[in-house]
Amino acid sequence: MKTKQELDIVDLLIEQHARIRDLFSEVESSSGEGRRTAFQRLTRLLAVHETAEEEIVHPIARRTLVGGEGLIADRLREERDAKHMLAELDGMDTDDPEFMPKLNELRVAVLDHARAEERYEFYRLRGTFSETQRRGMAAALKAAEATAPTHPHPGTESAKKNLAAGPLVALVDRLRDAIRNS
Amino acid sequence: MSFNPLEHRGIPLEDQVRSWRELDVTPVDPDHTDSYTKCRIITMNGIETEAIFFSHHFSRFCPDMDVRRQLAEVRYIEQQQQKTVNWLLPGQASVLETTLSYEQVAVDLTAWVARMEPDPYLTQAYEFGVLEDFDHLYRYANLYEMIEHRKAEKVVDQVTEVMPGRPTKLHHRHPYDNVRDPYDRTKAAPISKLHALTVMAAEQQTMNFYMNVGPEYMEPIARQLYQEIGLVEEEHVTHYESLLDPGETWWERLVNHEYNECYMYHSMMQTESDRRVKAIWELHLNMELEHLRIACELMRRHDGRDPESILAPELPTPVTFEPNKEYVRNLLATQIDLTTLGAGYVREAHERFEKMQERLNAGEKPSSERVIDEHRDMFSDEYRLQTEGPHPIRSLREPVGSAR
Repeated sequence: MKTKQELDIVDLLIEQHARIRDLFSEVESSSGEGRRTAFQRLTRLLAVHETAEEEIVHPIARRTLVGGEGLIADRLREERDAKHMLAELDGMDTDDPEFMPKLNELRVAVLDHARAEERYEFYRLRGTFSETQRRGMAAALKAAEATAPTHPHPGTESAKKNLAAGPLVALVDRLRDAIRNS
Repeated sequence: MSFNPLEHRGIPLEDQVRSWRELDVTPVDPDHTDSYTKCRIITMNGIETEAIFFSHHFSRFCPDMDVRRQLAEVRYIEQQQQKTVNWLLPGQASVLETTLSYEQVAVDLTAWVARMEPDPYLTQAYEFGVLEDFDHLYRYANLYEMIEHRKAEKVVDQVTEVMPGRPTKLHHRHPYDNVRDPYDRTKAAPISKLHALTVMAAEQQTMNFYMNVGPEYMEPIARQLYQEIGLVEEEHVTHYESLLDPGETWWERLVNHEYNECYMYHSMMQTESDRRVKAIWELHLNMELEHLRIACELMRRHDGRDPESILAPELPTPVTFEPNKEYVRNLLATQIDLTTLGAGYVREAHERFEKMQERLNAGEKPSSERVIDEHRDMFSDEYRLQTEGPHPIRSLREPVGSAR
């Protein structure tokens, strides 16, 4: 078994899914300022995670897995829907009475989506690529995350659009975060 | 709050068939549901599964065509009940998360039964088993964090502790020593018969589950651990099923099964926190009352005996899922080094045990040990959830300096 430093791309993504799931619980169980900051962390992780998947994992899966085209089309549709929900929540006050019911909708959508990725995409990638290859992909994923936008941008689900719009919106997002946190 | 199921009328059998729409239940939420609600679902799935397979076996032995048809009719309903109950589990839960809940059932259900059982020999059988399921929970919890990068307390809540029990590697006994002495059907208290059926059904379902889901994993350590613990479940089913008196007639067994289903649904209803799930327990109780009435009629007709002569006059204290932390800690402190010899228990490893161990291990560590080693390599410690202080056995405390 590998040490933490040797995690492959599938480990990294599953670890993020677990963190996302736990962050939802954190937002739900906190209130006031605590909820606001927990939700900020959730938004950031979700936005970065989804972009990195769209830039690195999905294109590989689409090209190499049998039925990859349809499989990824399904995942991108789920991601677009989730981003719309997240974008709406991102503009809301976390104390708004509408916030929690909408957050719950997003939570279930994200949970469904994450499990579908794990079962139909990630585990099959493990069967397709060697460990060395998967570790190489992990490095690429980390690089993509470093420059990914930190807020949701629905409509940029393909890798090309992400790469075209990515660096600029990412810069704007990161500036926005810096101002928010200052 | 006494309840005698023989005095209540249930739903007529012809009204019990559900449509596809009625079968299509909404599952519980994987992250918002009380861990004990998941335990109750898993328990009742085990009870229904046992009812179905018992009925199939009975049918294979039964030459009377009318009885076979009657069994088939009730069994079809039981299949629909099983589909309803088990389909309450959410699709988003992973196999390992469901496994953690299975082991939580094995710990807290068996501990409760052990606490309530009046017969000391039977109590010992349950106490013996608890410490093994408790250890399985700890091994799977470590596997869960390695594979899914998530902590088992998110699944089992804070109600059941997670730490070493009797080490799994020592569960592999010679099959000869897994057969216990049965209770005497003419002397055993009715509750003892219900306890034995319930725990046997739960362990049997766990065995079936691991038999089938283990190979779904790709990670070698996961595949191996499901094989290893799956074989311990074979031992547990042998252990618990041998407690039942083999002299019970088929009719008597049928009545006991149906009575136990009434008892268990009635029990689950008492403490169910999920309103929707509770309504299912209540509906199923009302269906079971009719199944029990039919079984009693068959017993009167074919066995020439009154079911009342073998049943309790009212349902015993309801089976309850609740924390058993102190109880389990006390067992850890006093019974961790037990193994079995023939139909009894001893503290020393004996020749048959040692031979079996040598044969299985063949000089290597089993997966239940390696899963902890590999977890330490990956995270530099073990996964444990000790809410009530350090492990009661000093040698099973985590080595110093391993904190994350």
